[in-house]
Amino acid sequence: MSDSAISQRVGNDKMLRSRWVGYLLAALCIIALPLIFNDTYWRTNLTICAINVLLALGLDFILGYTGQLNLGHSAFYGLGAYVSTLLIVKLGIPFWAAFVAGVAFAGLAGMFLSLFAVRLRGHYLAIASLGFAVIIYQILLNWISLTQGPLGIYGISPPPGIVVGGTVIADFRNLTAFFYLVSGFTLLVYLLLDQLVRSPVGETLTAIREDEVSAASLGINGAVWKVFAFGLGAAVAGAAGCFYASFVGTLVPDAFYVSEAFTILAMVIVGGMGTLIGPVFGAILLTLLPEILRGIGDLRLVVYGAALTFVVLFMPGGLVQAARMIHEKLRPGGRRP
Amino acid sequence: MTVTFRGLIARVAAVGFLAASQATYAQEKTIKIGALFPMSGPGSYFGAQDKQGVELALEQLNKTGVNGYKFVVQYEDSSCAPLPATQAAKRLIEQFKPDVIIGEECSDATLAVMPIVEQSKVPLLNAGSSSIKVTEPGNPWTFRIMPNEVMQGVNLAENAYKRMNARNAVLLFENTNAGIGNAQVFKENFTRLGGKVLAEIGFGRDVNDFTAIATRIAGLGKIDVIPTYTLEGQGLKITQALAQAGITKGGGGDAIQIGTIWLPFGFEQKAGKAALGYIRIVQFDPTDARDVVKDFITTFKTKYNADPTHLNAHAYDQIMLIADVVKRGGKDPQSIRDGLAATKNYSGVTGSVEFDKTNQNTKMDTVHYMETKPDMSWTSLKWN
Amino acid sequence: MTTTIVLQQAINGVVFGSLYVLVALGLTLIYGVLVQINFAHADFVTLGAFAAYFFMHLLGAGYFLSIGVAFLVGAALGWLINASIFTPLRLKGNELLPLIATIGVSVMMQNLMLTWFGPIPYAFETEYSSQVIRFAGIFVSWQNIIIIAVSSVTIALLYAFMKFTFLGKALRAVSQDRETAGLMGINPNYLIMLTFVIASALAGMAGAMLAPVLVLTPFAGTSVIVKAFAIVIIGGFGNVEGTILAGLIVGLIESYTTQFLDPGLIDIVVFALLLVMLVIKPTGLIAERREENV
Repeated sequence: MSDSAISQRVGNDKMLRSRWVGYLLAALCIIALPLIFNDTYWRTNLTICAINVLLALGLDFILGYTGQLNLGHSAFYGLGAYVSTLLIVKLGIPFWAAFVAGVAFAGLAGMFLSLFAVRLRGHYLAIASLGFAVIIYQILLNWISLTQGPLGIYGISPPPGIVVGGTVIADFRNLTAFFYLVSGFTLLVYLLLDQLVRSPVGETLTAIREDEVSAASLGINGAVWKVFAFGLGAAVAGAAGCFYASFVGTLVPDAFYVSEAFTILAMVIVGGMGTLIGPVFGAILLTLLPEILRGIGDLRLVVYGAALTFVVLFMPGGLVQAARMIHEKLRPGGRRP
Repeated sequence: MTVTFRGLIARVAAVGFLAASQATYAQEKTIKIGALFPMSGPGSYFGAQDKQGVELALEQLNKTGVNGYKFVVQYEDSSCAPLPATQAAKRLIEQFKPDVIIGEECSDATLAVMPIVEQSKVPLLNAGSSSIKVTEPGNPWTFRIMPNEVMQGVNLAENAYKRMNARNAVLLFENTNAGIGNAQVFKENFTRLGGKVLAEIGFGRDVNDFTAIATRIAGLGKIDVIPTYTLEGQGLKITQALAQAGITKGGGGDAIQIGTIWLPFGFEQKAGKAALGYIRIVQFDPTDARDVVKDFITTFKTKYNADPTHLNAHAYDQIMLIADVVKRGGKDPQSIRDGLAATKNYSGVTGSVEFDKTNQNTKMDTVHYMETKPDMSWTSLKWN
Repeated sequence: MTTTIVLQQAINGVVFGSLYVLVALGLTLIYGVLVQINFAHADFVTLGAFAAYFFMHLLGAGYFLSIGVAFLVGAALGWLINASIFTPLRLKGNELLPLIATIGVSVMMQNLMLTWFGPIPYAFETEYSSQVIRFAGIFVSWQNIIIIAVSSVTIALLYAFMKFTFLGKALRAVSQDRETAGLMGINPNYLIMLTFVIASALAGMAGAMLAPVLVLTPFAGTSVIVKAFAIVIIGGFGNVEGTILAGLIVGLIESYTTQFLDPGLIDIVVFALLLVMLVIKPTGLIAERREENV
């Protein structure tokens, strides 16, 4: 083995260790947060952050790693929420079974859309996905006998608690417990996606994103991978939807209007498309920013739009790019690329 | 990363600021009123007008106070949607600790907020949501002074059948909780009396052109009444389209539009001749001869240089009712709740207030009928 | 009776269709030349409408003059967006970033308008919106006639411009093959700017004509834009004839869906059609398309 290969191996091991340290730190942060912010208002915010992180991760996987511009992520969010909730409320199916059903349904819908659009490129896919989101929204809104439409579904219960041998380990009516559930799930999803991206699968996806034609010459069937990625990203959004429904307790179609898709997109872009960690912070920032800026009323949405525009214009790599630039500046001596 | 610390700093700053402002009030006795109104997004229409009504009431009350108490209001933006509303409610309760909360406008938001106020044991006084679900289950902490969709719908259907001799109706409603709910109630009661509903046409809030819908209605044959449930923006277009198609009186036809909610005085000026003969339930009758109404209109005009709408009136009534409860001894959440429940024959700008067992105001004089005259002014029909 | 209804709905459909065409034409022109989508196009429509409103109601000017003002406002916006967003981003090469940037601009514009103009719908009345012509049981308002007339004239002019003038042919050349066009001495940047200005001016003008018909709030444009996108795809990106045809078809779909089904289903029908088109003929109704891996 050549010197450079050996040093790369060593470097990889170091990176591996630092990654696991990173995961551990994240887990610790998650545990600590609701204890620091111990009022209902902020704990609710944290849970919403976790749900949005989930959404952003799913979209980043689709957009950042396979280059498919999905402008309709809100559709999968909504499908997950409605499918799971309707199963629970109308058929009495237990929560976790309904959860799996919701996730699966959303994932399949994602695969369906991608399959349908797999020959389409760039803008065509973007508009097709937007159209898909509009259709789903209109179905949720108009099929009143099935979804209750604007009349809404109320009184949705949180997941049933975990009881072992008579003692209650977790009661999800408790905000902190619910937060741990969602953020724990999110961390697992992140782990899964992160590992996936660093594995040979990830390399395949990157190859497809960069140049699908050349990838094809290597025998990679771009279509299959793109559909798979879309399905996975959509499934993650479906999970977020299930959590959303049982968290807010109220389900109306308006929560999944197409503008939601743009919000999630903003989180991914502002965080840094194609980095996985970027969208995590993009989601947190864009969830908390409107809450912190509540005082300025309507202008907070203006700031939102401005953030998206300026990031794209001046720092398309988002927060991650900004962080890297700061990191470079602070490094003594710098490193030769 | 820095985000959570930033959040922490902002939060500390906010609490500090609040504490400082609270300190100045600590010397006086205050009743803290939390206000959940939509201030952003498409619903901010409501929030802006509610605020006007509230401010007018506060100005008048705080000149002398009531029973030694002054009133302080904190507004939170609930955006007319469940999640922002629950967020706003939680924030309000945690940080401002109100004695009573007024709001929201939209039924979805109100319904989402109700469990929170119940859990925190703070009374919620509502004057904007018509959905029956707000009071039907009987939540001891939620009160509504405006007539709900059932009260209005039953009354409207009866009046349409008996006083207007209507036998054929076409329902036009926006595809929201309130729109669908109201239309359903009318349909049930109208058909129960023996009337026929020729068509039920629901439309989304983003529909702009009603010529196609008017054309469809024109093909349905003889129509007596067209109950319309929608906001002002679309209501305007509907009325004009119906007139253009020659269906309603304003366009030379025979049908009369009837309806409830959301069409304030001033609608006629925008709709023009098309609005001729429109009969509708309003929650605020500017021709009401009672002194309390006349004074309200005068003081509102002086302060804002505009005529008050029902939104202004509702908000005004909410504050004034709370003041009345304080006069009767209310001073904290529990006693204010009890005071509200015990209200008997309170005379507000929008009508009288007396709550039944489910905390719904059942006084029918809150249901005012107005008809649009050829000169675009309103006549009060005095049907209640 | 039924033939009257069918005919009436046809007229309704054509009126609305022509408005959609005006809005969609702008999008299609930009795409043809730049292969980009301006998501804020709808908000140009809204801002054009407001500009016309204020011009008319504050300055007491005539309606047709206000349409002109809206046209100019749209033009100015187009210039601004191209200069600040599309030109700088073109150098970076990513084809999706500009779209995302314009989403941000759209959000900004809508909420700025919300702050300036408020959410209460404005009643934009002209002398024409209430006057109605009736014949053979059919009615058309003068406003609608103006819409059809102005739209038709504009579309005809635009079409003639594209087909017969040097500048128009240059625009088409640039959309076919930018490099070669450059070699022929045409400055692509100038042409792109011109396209943007024209497209956005059209949007502004559409706004002024839509205003008396729409519910005028800062969100007025959004109700139109999503359908405009559908039209552009159904007609074929960058294809003027296709857009015109598709726009009229969508307008007719709207009125007939309202008549025979339910207004709430309009969006579903239009977008289902969109998705079907993408499957069977992604290049659009009239395939006059260049080689492109669509």
